[in-house]
Amino acid sequence: QSAGGEAVNENKFLNTDSSTGSAETTVKPLPFKDPNFIHSGIGGAAAGKKNRTWKNLKQILASERALPWQLNDPSYFNIDAPPSFKPAKKYSDISGLPANYTDPQSKLRFSTIEEFAYIRMLPSDVVTGYLALRKATSIVS
Amino acid sequence: QGCVDHPIVLTEAVCNPLYSRQMMSELLFECYQVPKVSYGVDSLYSFYHNRKQNWPCSGLVISSGYQCTHILPVLDGRLDAKNCKRINLGGCQAAVYLQRLLQLKYPGHFAAITLSRMEEILHEHSYVAEDYIEELQKWRCPEYYENNVHKMQLPFSNKLLGSTLTSEEKQEKKQQQLRRLQELNARRREEKLQLDQERLDRLLYVQELLEDGQMDQFHKALVELNMDSAEELQSYINKLSVSVEQTKQKILQSEVNIEVDVVDSKPETPDLDPLGSEQSLEDVESINEFEPLFAEEQPEAEKPVAAVQPVFNLAEYHQLFLGTERIRAPEIVFQPSLIGEDQAGIAETMQYVLERYSKEQQDVLVQNVFLTGGNMMYPGLKGRVQKELLEMRPFQSSFQVHLASNPVLDAWYGARDWAVEYMNREEGWITRKDYEEKGGEYLKEHCASNVYVPIRLPKQAPRSAESSASSKGQASGTGTPSEQA
Repeated sequence: QSAGGEAVNENKFLNTDSSTGSAETTVKPLPFKDPNFIHSGIGGAAAGKKNRTWKNLKQILASERALPWQLNDPSYFNIDAPPSFKPAKKYSDISGLPANYTDPQSKLRFSTIEEFAYIRMLPSDVVTGYLALRKATSIVS
Repeated sequence: QGCVDHPIVLTEAVCNPLYSRQMMSELLFECYQVPKVSYGVDSLYSFYHNRKQNWPCSGLVISSGYQCTHILPVLDGRLDAKNCKRINLGGCQAAVYLQRLLQLKYPGHFAAITLSRMEEILHEHSYVAEDYIEELQKWRCPEYYENNVHKMQLPFSNKLLGSTLTSEEKQEKKQQQLRRLQELNARRREEKLQLDQERLDRLLYVQELLEDGQMDQFHKALVELNMDSAEELQSYINKLSVSVEQTKQKILQSEVNIEVDVVDSKPETPDLDPLGSEQSLEDVESINEFEPLFAEEQPEAEKPVAAVQPVFNLAEYHQLFLGTERIRAPEIVFQPSLIGEDQAGIAETMQYVLERYSKEQQDVLVQNVFLTGGNMMYPGLKGRVQKELLEMRPFQSSFQVHLASNPVLDAWYGARDWAVEYMNREEGWITRKDYEEKGGEYLKEHCASNVYVPIRLPKQAPRSAESSASSKGQASGTGTPSEQA
């Protein structure tokens, strides 16, 4: 009977098996593994110490891009959704209501007078937090 | 036994990178000695499970998981991989957004607002508004708010306003500080006493010189001391002796005072000599900083550190009020600009995908819109998708939206159905022989799989010479399905 395929999400890191492959150093014999298996990830270009050179997603995608794709082939980076064409609607940072106004001092958006009073009383780290949530922090400061 | 005996059906990402598949195949075949393996896409398995009666069928599969959301057009049972789109937002991002919102709103409870609590809120208390702007207007008026706000009670913690010590610990600390301060003062006084004593002795000696009549030495000494006359010398001597006496008295007094009950005594402020030693400046500063600490701790000790204080509702302090957050967090897949992502939301991406097809194909796809994935389980989401479709489809055209019967587990059920059906067939399985011949990134297409692009990856050999560089093999035999005319 087939084993179940669970939704293993391979999007991020490739550490699919947390147990190490080198059987020489395991304490107890793992029942399913072939005892002589050494993963090809071990012994990469960097000598010796960092045996397990897993690549993270950026590295994988970078090396994938270098392969000879045809123009129409689907690949992991091809299928990213395009940026939006419609202008973004503005919502208040505090309450989420549609915001018509922006505080010039802190650049937070608000929709009512009470929110404005609340914004003016906020400590600066909360202000930066709200802006960072919207990815609107200024690069310079 | 050192191997796994049975075949394995495994899901992978849509358009899984070849490197990932190679790693996975290597692990399965070489480490675990699996006989045969099949890879598929989870949302397509779910689609298969729900539509088995009239397979092969076409439709638009929208699957929203923990990390990302995919829009996959399926034509005649095969995934049209060219036109898939992926939005990098899912349940995880919604939870993080909600967490940050609440942490900013309630900075006092920073540590208590954890991701697992956020997920609980998302699963149980959030919903998707059918018309976002309209819902928000409803939330504006106070009665609606009062009726629909959800209050989450956090577990009670004794940390009020940042003070983490109990009253005994505070007393202990105060006593320790008092003792330290007194020791410091005593030491300083002794040092000063010593210095003054020495100086006094020197001046007395100079005075003796005068009395003995050794005028030259006397005058020289005066010049050294930077003084002009014998009278000045005398006055200095007097002042010094007076201060020496005072210091001695104070030392005696403070030794007595240490025995007294520490809580009631105020800290001793040393009376610094105006002529005093060079260290006086630093002493003043450090004592000054002890003083305000004492001043503020004393009144606090007097106030009862009771749990109930009249103006402050403790129960409410530990409550989180969820108003519009209930609809804001799930809204990010529809409007990624809420968190600053510049990708398009589900509705716009659907429109984009549909526009890449001819009109007839669009109609076919839209008749069978299928929602699956754990992030699709918000109440009201199906209605929202229907409304969006209504907005973007031509006037009076029909469409149908279905939700998976069990969005979270349908992928597994679908994989099980597929495996049961194809168990003994050849197609769709990658056997060990295939793996060895064609490399780890080989994929056999089947009704629920990715599309295979035949590019050979160089096999990573451990420390030996690399095998041949990547080369393009022949066109894939199973062929990609035709796209728009």
